[in-house]
Amino acid sequence: MKKLLIILLFLQLFFISCKKVNEEFSFPKKPITIIVYTGPGGLIDITARKFATVASKYTEATFVVENKPGSGGIVAIKRLLQLPSDGYTLFACTKSNISKIVSTGGEAYIDGIDWAAMMMADPECVITHKKQKINSWEDILTDAKAKDGDQLWLGPANGGLDHVTALKIWDEAGIEAKWIPFKSGGKAIAALLGEQGVAYVGNPREVLGNDDLQIATVSSSKRLAQFPDVPTFEELGIMGLENEFMWRGFVLKKGTTPQIKKWYDELFLNVNNDPEWREYWERGGIDVVYKGSEEFTKIVHNDKKQFTHYLQKIGIINTEATSMIAKLSTGKTLYFMVMIFVIIFLIIGLFVNRSPNRKYLSKIMLPLFFILLSTILFIISFSFPSNEKVGPAVIPRLWIIILIPLNVYLLVDILRQKREIEHKDENKKVVFGFIGLLILYLVSIFYIGYFISSFVFLIIGIYMLGYRNYITMLIISVSWLLFSYLIFYKLLYVPLPVGKLIEMIF
Amino acid sequence: MEILANMAQGFGFVLGWQPILFIIIGVIMGILVGAMPGLSPSMGVALLVPFTYSMSPTLALILLVSIYIAANYGGSITAVTINAPGTPSAVVTSFDGYPLTKQNKPGMGLGVSLVSSTIGGFIGTIILILFSVQLAKVAVKFHPAEYFALAIFGLTTVATLGGKNWVKAFIAAMFGLLINTVGIDPISGVSRFTFGSVHLYDGFSLIPALIGLFALSEVFKQIDEQNFKSKKIELEKTQWPTLLDYWKLKLTIVRSSIMGTLIGIFPGAGATIASFISYDIAKRTSKEPEKFGHGSLEGVAAAEAANSSSVGGALVPLLTLGIPGSASTAVLIGALMIHDLTPGPQLFNNNPEIIYGLFASLLIANIVLLVFGLFGSRLWVKVTAVPKKILYPMIFTVSIIGSFAVRYSFFDIAACLGFGIFGWILRRHNYPVAPIVLGIVLGNIAETNFRRAVMMGDYTIFFTRPVSLLLLVLALVSFAWPILQNKIYSKKELSKLKS
Repeated sequence: MKKLLIILLFLQLFFISCKKVNEEFSFPKKPITIIVYTGPGGLIDITARKFATVASKYTEATFVVENKPGSGGIVAIKRLLQLPSDGYTLFACTKSNISKIVSTGGEAYIDGIDWAAMMMADPECVITHKKQKINSWEDILTDAKAKDGDQLWLGPANGGLDHVTALKIWDEAGIEAKWIPFKSGGKAIAALLGEQGVAYVGNPREVLGNDDLQIATVSSSKRLAQFPDVPTFEELGIMGLENEFMWRGFVLKKGTTPQIKKWYDELFLNVNNDPEWREYWERGGIDVVYKGSEEFTKIVHNDKKQFTHYLQKIGIINTEATSMIAKLSTGKTLYFMVMIFVIIFLIIGLFVNRSPNRKYLSKIMLPLFFILLSTILFIISFSFPSNEKVGPAVIPRLWIIILIPLNVYLLVDILRQKREIEHKDENKKVVFGFIGLLILYLVSIFYIGYFISSFVFLIIGIYMLGYRNYITMLIISVSWLLFSYLIFYKLLYVPLPVGKLIEMIF
Repeated sequence: MEILANMAQGFGFVLGWQPILFIIIGVIMGILVGAMPGLSPSMGVALLVPFTYSMSPTLALILLVSIYIAANYGGSITAVTINAPGTPSAVVTSFDGYPLTKQNKPGMGLGVSLVSSTIGGFIGTIILILFSVQLAKVAVKFHPAEYFALAIFGLTTVATLGGKNWVKAFIAAMFGLLINTVGIDPISGVSRFTFGSVHLYDGFSLIPALIGLFALSEVFKQIDEQNFKSKKIELEKTQWPTLLDYWKLKLTIVRSSIMGTLIGIFPGAGATIASFISYDIAKRTSKEPEKFGHGSLEGVAAAEAANSSSVGGALVPLLTLGIPGSASTAVLIGALMIHDLTPGPQLFNNNPEIIYGLFASLLIANIVLLVFGLFGSRLWVKVTAVPKKILYPMIFTVSIIGSFAVRYSFFDIAACLGFGIFGWILRRHNYPVAPIVLGIVLGNIAETNFRRAVMMGDYTIFFTRPVSLLLLVLALVSFAWPILQNKIYSKKELSKLKS
């Protein structure tokens, strides 16, 4: 006990002395993580990795790129905001994130972020198919007027940057058209090549490598060096579109100390001026810029305003529930309703469990579950906006409408033929025990990490199933740890969780 | 002839010690990635992309493509030996592969899956080399209405899968389709059934659902049934397919390979749908349809040939148009971009060494895969001899890595466990779980293309476009036929019983 106290005392002293040394500014003392909101391989991932390579010319710091895909960046932003604002986490951000933040009602995030540096800006452009009749901006204009709102524009997701740019173009040019959203820009381009639509909105880089594509017009203030023949909107007589660009940059969590920020500002400037960096992006037609925190923040707030305006206009945000059922299916009433359904289900379950015909009756539980689930989802679907021909509620309802009768049929079928079916029981206890163990395992991974938890889990799990050769158990658990560490953690770069508690200690 | 000259040049690039070494490394890693429940081919490729940033573009592509090919095969190993498909497309392989293992013939399943995989991969590559430009022209013309019809056609395979339990099979498929609608609506961008949770914005990921429904629920079921006895397989006596066995499968393999390649070409369709549809067709045209689901070699061959050949198909739009046909090829585009190469038709002119080197390495990778697979199969068989009491807990630890690796989220691990428990309950009540996977895979394609098609025209568009009409009619026939057949069959049985 005494020894332990002494050790603790020493540790305490050690930390205090470390802190003192710290007061002199020295940053960074550990690797800096760059969070990327997509999987490896996307443009933003490449940006982050290229940045890491170029930055290493100007600083000793190591950069680690961490991919945190999900929800168009919301998952990654949340991660950034969870971590301390000590400057050890950068987030590689794009304008698309702003659209996502606005459409998911996360405006508060914008104020929690320190918009450190905008590094690149690609103008948005309208791309057409050379072999189609309609391929210049004038053609698009006349065709749009002739088709009266039925002209098809292709592009990525609704409410995204490209869509909002298209909406703005239509507004400024005084035309109407339809936006057909595809899963990705690439798939929309495939459809354009298949002549399924007239125009595509996106990045100039996307015409590279394909002779059939051409840029009709570009939304920058002057012509692009790479495409000197492409007119700007201004030249075509359409104003207000000279600054529609997709930006990429790096941001920090708000609250980072000025000293660290200064360190970053220098680094960003250095990278921005680096010839390797400039050459790499400019070859692909991407504008390398540098906008510091103040200007960048202004741009972001402006973007936010614009996205809010257009997303409201197309009904993605702020759609007030109008009908009675729609009101029922949002907010607290919804949870109340779900609770009631769960209680009904549990009561029936209890009744079935107590009944002498348990084995036979238990068969009705699944159809019943499906029917209740479908009903709940059906009611919720009334809260979806429906300002399109086939709105977001149509397809879920279609599946539900098929699902319910099938289950009713099954229910009737079960109730009609009363016969006992043999069921091989009853090792359920072990299964339930195992499920409990798995839940514990999950929780412990969260706190103490994958490796320790898996070791303990393997030993207990194997024991639980009745295996008793302890040496084999130990060998298996240890070798699994080694295997998973080497193969997954080291070779395949799967960032297996090390655990909250462990992270806190170290 | 030009192609031959170009190919010779391509082989020239690849036949050095370094490219071959990379192919071997890629194949080994691919098999490993594919066999791990949860690490799908696209993830295997994605996980290694950062690693290739510092390599030369040709070597990087060779490595990634070898992984892609081998991972598509690797999924079948665990599907056959422990009924835990390592990849979504291997779900179909498990239908007949696992029964073979249960009948003490794991060697038959493994052998057939390997050989049909490599032949499929070969055929897919050859179609890619010879017809890619023409095929790409057809692929871009494929209208949303046709994609929708294709998805519906894929769904009708449920009727075949279900057999006598077709109602339950359909309920499972509908459930899969329904949970696929959770998340941000891909067309309008509003959130559906998310209950305000960020984790649900992207919906349920396929991989955790797949692991839960297959691997975990299988283990729960085995524990439930106290199946701890490892069958003592005498490894020396394990039965392997003979050349005659393979010869009998020639038609199935060739047909499935062509179908797999064709379905793989359409951006977004992919290996899983290819294997479901070609399994369905193999069953319908088989002389012994009753064997399907109980260890039919034709079933294993159809599924594996189709999913491996779809690799060649998926590369068609990537190389000729610069458009990814599958999740894995989407990652490959990123890999090309980082090396300053823009995929698309110009790549053929500007960097022929890359294109033809890639073709050559695809062919070589398939051969390497066959060699390693033949050796490896002797090893995989031993998995079935591992004491179950040790194997089951280990499946859990692997599953957790697999579901976590999709997007590094705890929510996915929890979802995986949830699907596992639910899958176990479903199995106890004789609901097939494979249709749920099919529903999740097809839901998005069916929905987005249906709505896109209506936006681009109106509701009649599905019937005025000949290809879409044809597919829909085929779907109706293939949906009704097995059910009718079942009815007629059971009536005959009844009358037999009465007499």
